[in-house]
Amino acid sequence: MKVIGISIPVRDQEQALQFYTEKLGFIKKLDIPLEGGNRWLTLVSPEWQDGPELLLEPAPVHFEPAKVYQDALMEAGIPYTQFDVGDVQEEYDRLINLGVEFSMKPTEMGTVKVAVFNDTCGNNMQLVETL
Amino acid sequence: MTFYIQKLKSLRKTIYRNQYQINAIIAVKNYIDANYENDLNMDLISKVQLISKFHLIRLFKKYYGLTPRQYLINKRVAKSKEHLVTGMAVTETCYAVGFTSLGSFSVLFKTKTGKTPGQFQKEQLSRNKSIDDTSSLEGNHKSI
Repeated sequence: MKVIGISIPVRDQEQALQFYTEKLGFIKKLDIPLEGGNRWLTLVSPEWQDGPELLLEPAPVHFEPAKVYQDALMEAGIPYTQFDVGDVQEEYDRLINLGVEFSMKPTEMGTVKVAVFNDTCGNNMQLVETL
Repeated sequence: MTFYIQKLKSLRKTIYRNQYQINAIIAVKNYIDANYENDLNMDLISKVQLISKFHLIRLFKKYYGLTPRQYLINKRVAKSKEHLVTGMAVTETCYAVGFTSLGSFSVLFKTKTGKTPGQFQKEQLSRNKSIDDTSSLEGNHKSI
């Protein structure tokens, strides 16, 4: 078995696609139409295109418990998942300039530096830099 | 303050409270990053950091989740991928990143990436070529 991806619950797939590509810089890899206007929509990192894929799945729209869980994580400020970056401060400055909201500024935690932002699709996401 | 930030603050007071120790271990990691192509001399590193060798290895594992030796191997494999993508020969890559045996390099590389260095390089180079071909096709298309 191989780990090839991670799914991220989103409220609106099109809005998520725009945020994750235009602001965060991911690249669309797969976009397969499914029933009811849903899509099998995956993204990859531009510098690691055969690496793990992010699946933007509309679970909170169709499955109430997914929405409840997502809302609870959001309220607690807990990141749904995290992305590795070379320099958290640099990425924080870049995203702030693009209007992205952070609930936690770059903060050192032992051997990593982390920051948390709102992905506008219902999730907190964490940036991580290994020090 | 969110629940998450409260939890992080609490972690800083418990497992991350010894900043002096953390800085020493980060310095070891930076040393490996800067010297991965050389033999890893833990005796030398521990003398510089004034920590006994075995304690240092334990602390490194505590803060980074793997031993300095394992970290070094991962670093070398990651660097070897960068070299292979540029077209550097497999043997040359092996020695450039600090491995001393071509056999053990190939085995480690395959374990870590699922492919031998040769297979990996062939795939990457043919992929780059197909991207170039596509670009030139698009260029031709535009000119038509």
